[in-house]
Amino acid sequence: MDIDTPDLMEYFLNFSAAVTGFSRFDLLGTGQASLYFSTIEGIIGGEIFRELLQTFHELYVRANSENDASILTEGITDEILMSGKLGPIASNIIKLWYSATWYQLPDPWREKFGARQNDTSFVVSPYAYPEGLLWQAIGVNPPGAKAPGYASWQYPPSVRLTSPKN
Amino acid sequence: MIIKSVDCQTISNIVYDVVIVGSGVAGAIVAKQLSEQGKTVLILEAGTSEGLTLEGYQNNIETFYGALNKNSNSPYPLNPNALSPTDNTYGYFQEKGVLPLSGSYTRIVGGTTRHWEGKTIRMLPEDFKLRTNYGHGLDWPISYDDLMPYYRKAEYEIGVAGDTEEQKEAGAEFIDGYVLPMKKLPPSFLDGIVRKGIDQIEEVTIGKENPETIKLKLSTFPQGRNSIPHPDYQRPGYTDDQLIKDNFIPEGVASVHPVEYGERCQGNANCVPICPVQAKYDARRTLSTIAFPEKVHLLSQAVATQVDINPENGRVTAINYKQYKNISSSEYTVGTARGRLFVLAANAVENAKLMLASNLPSTSGMMGCNLMDHPYLLSWALLPTTKIAGTLRGPQVTSGLSTFRKGDFRKEQCAFAMSIHNDGWGWSGTGATDILQDAVDKKHKYGAELRNELITRISQQLLLDFMCELPANSSNRVTVDPQYKDQLGNYRPVIHYNVPDYCKKTMAYARKLSLQIFESLGAKDYSHYDKSDPAYFEYENEGYFFRGGNHFAGTHVMGTTKNNSVVDRNLRSWDHENLYLVGGGSMPSIGSSNTTLTLAALSFLASEQMLRDLKA
Repeated sequence: MDIDTPDLMEYFLNFSAAVTGFSRFDLLGTGQASLYFSTIEGIIGGEIFRELLQTFHELYVRANSENDASILTEGITDEILMSGKLGPIASNIIKLWYSATWYQLPDPWREKFGARQNDTSFVVSPYAYPEGLLWQAIGVNPPGAKAPGYASWQYPPSVRLTSPKN
Repeated sequence: MIIKSVDCQTISNIVYDVVIVGSGVAGAIVAKQLSEQGKTVLILEAGTSEGLTLEGYQNNIETFYGALNKNSNSPYPLNPNALSPTDNTYGYFQEKGVLPLSGSYTRIVGGTTRHWEGKTIRMLPEDFKLRTNYGHGLDWPISYDDLMPYYRKAEYEIGVAGDTEEQKEAGAEFIDGYVLPMKKLPPSFLDGIVRKGIDQIEEVTIGKENPETIKLKLSTFPQGRNSIPHPDYQRPGYTDDQLIKDNFIPEGVASVHPVEYGERCQGNANCVPICPVQAKYDARRTLSTIAFPEKVHLLSQAVATQVDINPENGRVTAINYKQYKNISSSEYTVGTARGRLFVLAANAVENAKLMLASNLPSTSGMMGCNLMDHPYLLSWALLPTTKIAGTLRGPQVTSGLSTFRKGDFRKEQCAFAMSIHNDGWGWSGTGATDILQDAVDKKHKYGAELRNELITRISQQLLLDFMCELPANSSNRVTVDPQYKDQLGNYRPVIHYNVPDYCKKTMAYARKLSLQIFESLGAKDYSHYDKSDPAYFEYENEGYFFRGGNHFAGTHVMGTTKNNSVVDRNLRSWDHENLYLVGGGSMPSIGSSNTTLTLAALSFLASEQMLRDLKA
């Protein structure tokens, strides 16, 4: 799979937006999309990555053409997150966006689908760390970066609970 | 201009006025004080010194960003030639006690101030007579009044931000007209939420034999962190009680090089381990503001291995060291540092280790004994989502309870101070990324639901820590054993440690108090003290664990005679008249104060006697 394949990068961004709860605008704003894409591909290999993205894309197309969002939400759960093969990878992609960290895939997955050489837990790049969506999700700065300013901490947080859409 | 880095060749030809082992806050203060009086100084630093430059500091931040486990030493590369204990991650301490000492320190230029939180609390007058007042631990040979002028110097050097009136209420005394150099760091929004619960409780009782009623009141903690200079500040003068009107200017903030020396706190929420804008004091700031830096030589990557003495008069003749080329190789050369005076400022554990490695247990036999630290009881909960608390913002701690720092209950159980953690549950072992993993992997949350889950489980976190006083006890100690060495062949500290019922009683009390606070806040308790934790213990049928405070002290206590202590009231060794042992190791008690401010004050006190010695 070619990292520059425009289609797959599109699928990746759409998939990432759906599972992270952040918009494509937010995701692209991290500046990490192509690094994450190539990191995932480099660890699990193109074939399985493509399978994940295409599974998602088919759901995405069907949901749009039938104008039924539940096809996507149910499909993400049933066909991706609950899949023994694709689920752990999808979870890892969420965690990657949220914490800039690739976590080693769970042992059962490694046993069944083959342990990958580069599949260890690591922060993909020092400057990806401050771009983790976790901090944005809870309305704080990444500890040690993007400081909000003196005395900002005495004011109410900007974050609030939303009514879930998916 | 920064101090001069030298090589072994250079120092082999020089007899310095003073040779200092360690470039942490104690060593840096001594170096600054003595060099400013024209003395030549050599500092031997076991760790590396890249952090002295802005570029090196930025590298440390980058290392932190890239670290998978963001522990207290994560900005600094693992150095097998001079290991730093890191909450047992590296197994540097050989723990032989009933309970583990645990905790961490940093062997790098600037020492453990490179990862400290920055609380700068004075001890209370009664803490100096712990034995006389309460029948526990040891008394100091000096009083709070004796140390007061040096506290002011330390507060100036570190740049302390705090509310002087609140400290007076907590029991600290100040001379008339004195305020801390900078205004207090504003309390967090979370503090405000907790305050409401605490105000509802109003008061509690403590102690069984003579129960005392204690009124609960939140207050802020003084911190070595840049805030807003206090307009009424007066700096220490030239005599003990003199104050000089002088606007306090935090290093860096108002200078042309703020980036290099430190800005005002910006709320990076990362005090431990590293402040990216250097708003937090660390000892590099003292090293980089030495008036005559050419007087101070720094030999880094040089681990002191042996103190040589003249057996006839006990005077120290030299300190031997091993200097390694780099952290990725165990190759080293040996060298000798010679001087008129010698100062060990390598921290309580390393000072004692070096003396014991040199077979110098002191006449009293107390070298390494009386090891102290503050054991912390943690208690954690989730606040109700009716109001989003926004945890994980601001300096790691801004407020707490200082109302249990004094009282007659100290005859029965130890004093403590409580802190509200703006940084959430991290210390308990469940950090924000652990919650993320659990939500994604176990609960299969994604999208908007995931975001809500994270707000509910992170933004509402409340962790209270209870820092308990541990009195000196000679069986808590550092020793050496030829079985346990590092890759350079230097000793690793062997630790014997236990926590007495005197403290456990307070930890049990603190736990109950925390539940009372949680209840008044409508918060749900999530504390879990796992039996498999090395620091797990039971007290009156309840299980708890504690966390080490990194406030290592007592291993070369000061006292009134050579038979009851290792150093005298000026931190000079009773046995070796040209040797000083500075740092927390000289403290006979630690009260309910983080040790840095007091050991910094002691370093100023000792420096004066060193200057008198060098004149003689």
